Amino acid sequence: MKSPASDSSSAACNKNARHLWISLFIAALVFLFPHALMAHDIPNDVTVQVFVKPEGQKLHLLLRVPLNAMRDTEFPERGAGYLDLARVDASLREAAMVWIADAISVYEDDSRLPNPQIHEVRASFPSDKSFASYDEANAHVTGPRLSNDVQVYWNQVMLDVLFEYPIHSDRSRFSIHPGLARLGLRVVTALRFLPPDGAVRALEFVGDPGLVRLDPHWYQAALNFVKLGFFHILEGTDHLLFLFCLVIPFRSLRKLIPVVTSFTVAHSITLIASAYNLAPDFLWFPPLIETLIAMSIVYMALENIVGGVGVQRRWMITFGFGLVHGFGFSFALRQTLQFAGSHLLTSLLSFNIGVELGQLLVLVVLIPVLHAFFRFAVAERMGTIILSALVAHTGWHWMLDRGERLAQFRFAWPVLTAAMLAAAMHWLMAMLIVAALMWYVVKRWPLRFPLGEASSRDPLTIGTAQIHSARQSLKTEMGGEI
Amino acid sequence: MKRNVYIGVAFSTLLIALAVASTVLEKRAAVEAAGVQAPRFEVDPMWPKPLPNHWILGMTIGVSVDAQDHIWIIHRGGSLERMENYLAANPPASECCMAAPPVLEFDEEGNLIGHWGGPGQGYDWPASNHGITVDYKGNVWIGGNGRGAAVAPPTQAAALNESQPGGGPFNDNMVLKFTQDGKFLMQIGHPGQSKGSNDLENLKGPAKMFVDKDANELYVADGYGNHRVIVFDADTGKAKRYWGAYGHKPDDTSLGPYNPDAPPAPQFRNPVHCAEIANDGLLYVCDRVNDRIQVFKKDGTFVKETIIAKRTLGDGSVWDIAFSKDPQQKYIFLADGSNEKVYIILRDTLEILTSFGDGGRQPGEFYAVHSIATDSKGNIFTTETYRGQRVQKFVYKGVAPVTKKDQGVVWPKKAS
Repeated sequence: MKSPASDSSSAACNKNARHLWISLFIAALVFLFPHALMAHDIPNDVTVQVFVKPEGQKLHLLLRVPLNAMRDTEFPERGAGYLDLARVDASLREAAMVWIADAISVYEDDSRLPNPQIHEVRASFPSDKSFASYDEANAHVTGPRLSNDVQVYWNQVMLDVLFEYPIHSDRSRFSIHPGLARLGLRVVTALRFLPPDGAVRALEFVGDPGLVRLDPHWYQAALNFVKLGFFHILEGTDHLLFLFCLVIPFRSLRKLIPVVTSFTVAHSITLIASAYNLAPDFLWFPPLIETLIAMSIVYMALENIVGGVGVQRRWMITFGFGLVHGFGFSFALRQTLQFAGSHLLTSLLSFNIGVELGQLLVLVVLIPVLHAFFRFAVAERMGTIILSALVAHTGWHWMLDRGERLAQFRFAWPVLTAAMLAAAMHWLMAMLIVAALMWYVVKRWPLRFPLGEASSRDPLTIGTAQIHSARQSLKTEMGGEI
Repeated sequence: MKRNVYIGVAFSTLLIALAVASTVLEKRAAVEAAGVQAPRFEVDPMWPKPLPNHWILGMTIGVSVDAQDHIWIIHRGGSLERMENYLAANPPASECCMAAPPVLEFDEEGNLIGHWGGPGQGYDWPASNHGITVDYKGNVWIGGNGRGAAVAPPTQAAALNESQPGGGPFNDNMVLKFTQDGKFLMQIGHPGQSKGSNDLENLKGPAKMFVDKDANELYVADGYGNHRVIVFDADTGKAKRYWGAYGHKPDDTSLGPYNPDAPPAPQFRNPVHCAEIANDGLLYVCDRVNDRIQVFKKDGTFVKETIIAKRTLGDGSVWDIAFSKDPQQKYIFLADGSNEKVYIILRDTLEILTSFGDGGRQPGEFYAVHSIATDSKGNIFTTETYRGQRVQKFVYKGVAPVTKKDQGVVWPKKAS
């Protein structure tokens, strides 16, 4: 037995190389023989259904795959291309080993399990419904075969196969690397894991998800989601531009802490709310959020250009925009939260930690670069205006593009039902609690950052602090109230 | 300090008030939920994605969803106007457009993933294709209602109207069976050979097909020229039984125009437009111009009927049906291409609960909504004939209390 850590690094290289070749091969086919593809030589869209059920000393892996995804295997035919069901078993077994068993790696407590035995194979109608549950699917694949006189065209049949892996205990932690992406141009795998406690954990992914921990420890889920958050912020150009706008006038970590913290708290609220299905389910909601994110960039950039930005004001504005960005993060997480196992909240918080780490990295890089830029390239105020104008330009175009998509939806007020009003009340309660907490925090720990400090040295800007200090000096000179 | 106490009390009072209000509303919501409920839908204006190659659709005359939730449509390239086909001219008269191939397959996201169809060796492609059904084995069945010889799209348009009033004898007296990649498997009937509603060898303008997996039998709504439902062995194509309205022997005597004030017609009027079997074995037949659904057992025994929008004249109100995807198939969705709406009907009582849609060309509106199908997630797909010429998706948004008998256009709006 090999451990997935060592195994997966060498296997990953091989798999990457193999995927590269497969991708190149598919791309060449698409380019050279577009019509052949439309004729399903390589299926465009393949759905694979998988059950994983550890039971005693065996792990049952039960799959349903369309037969037309098993390329290069000759299936016995009769008549007009109908599957010769009397002679098909050997070919089905061969296809199951070559296209499925060899592509899937299963691990028990991080040790790779040996190749499985095929317990049963069946050819099924595409409309067969027995994969609705494990028990039905198991009964189907171990039940009677299709009658030999059934006429069913060979590439419209489903291959059902039951593999068995020897395991030490059904209470072990299992992982699977379902390398089934080569079965088609787009492969959707719907996997259900049935641990002995009777729960059913459903996962669905497109292509090759890598190693999937079916019942992760909390720290495994956490690490996975920290990574995800970290790379999400680094790959999310719009979030980065927003962050860039925040940094331009406040180029010290000390001043940025309240602003970035406010952003983090806000996006955590909406992200967690979305994960618990509290976000609106409008079709137009994602385009609305995308448009608002672009607007947040434009607003921040314009605010930088206009000047007079104080920390106090900025952390509040950032809180509002953070709520919007949190919904944006939730769209990115929607497909991934399934890998959290039973650690949903841990995973969400870890994702946030990853986002914070990513933000921190960006800040650590950006702050000295901006300092150097303003010191050696262009004066601070002018540099702020130029950089913010460039960001505003990009944000503006995003806003228009996304707004155009949003405008394709016509808005209509929903019919007010009691259920909807009750949901609105829940939201109001949540907002009230957040507002109360914020009020308490501000009261308990008043902000110690001088207002308007960021731009106090800038002759072009009159910040709140300057007005305040002017009022104070005037007050002193006049010897009383003004 | 005192001010802080006031603020604290105000926060707490507001919170308690909201909690009480939400509890009351939740109770009321539970009462509402116990009332009349029906599935709710919203049109997805982004589905399907644009077709490649400057392809456009003509009269879109059939839709079916297969076991993989792929959406199949069939349309008539020949129904396009000359200017819509400029790209197909020789030499091309402009950069756009040309008719897409007749049979198109989309994935759930609305990507076109397959296309084929048209005249070929060994079979008689319909002059005017009509209806598409993907059966439990994945085979694709196609009917037709054309008069005159088959033509390759897109050269002829005039003779391919949906009802084809005043045309000559029916050419399309057959149904065709193909594999999903367009390989011909079987043909039942032959062009121009029909001898009427008691002919076992030929059909006459077959409108829609359904294959019953329990008996491997093909049910054909037959059709534009005949007045019957006919059942074949789906492998051999051998006729097994047939019947007309109320289970009577079909009769081709003209009934004259539909009169909403007359007693129900003893025979189906043309076209007999759909035949669908529910999971409990009941067969539902669309008697389009008679504005009624008739329900039968599989052996042709009449069970019951219901009249829909009785005062609808002309093309009639009962165009096509699909069942909801719950195992009990609690609801029937009925496409009415005359009144331009989809009715949601309780299958048990055949009572109309509500309807959605309106006439027009914007998403969620209809012009001659002709065919309807549902996927495994409960979403509805519709196609439109005449100048509607498109396929639309209506996203299932759960079951909700019925607040309107006629919902109008179901634009994306409300959270479920």
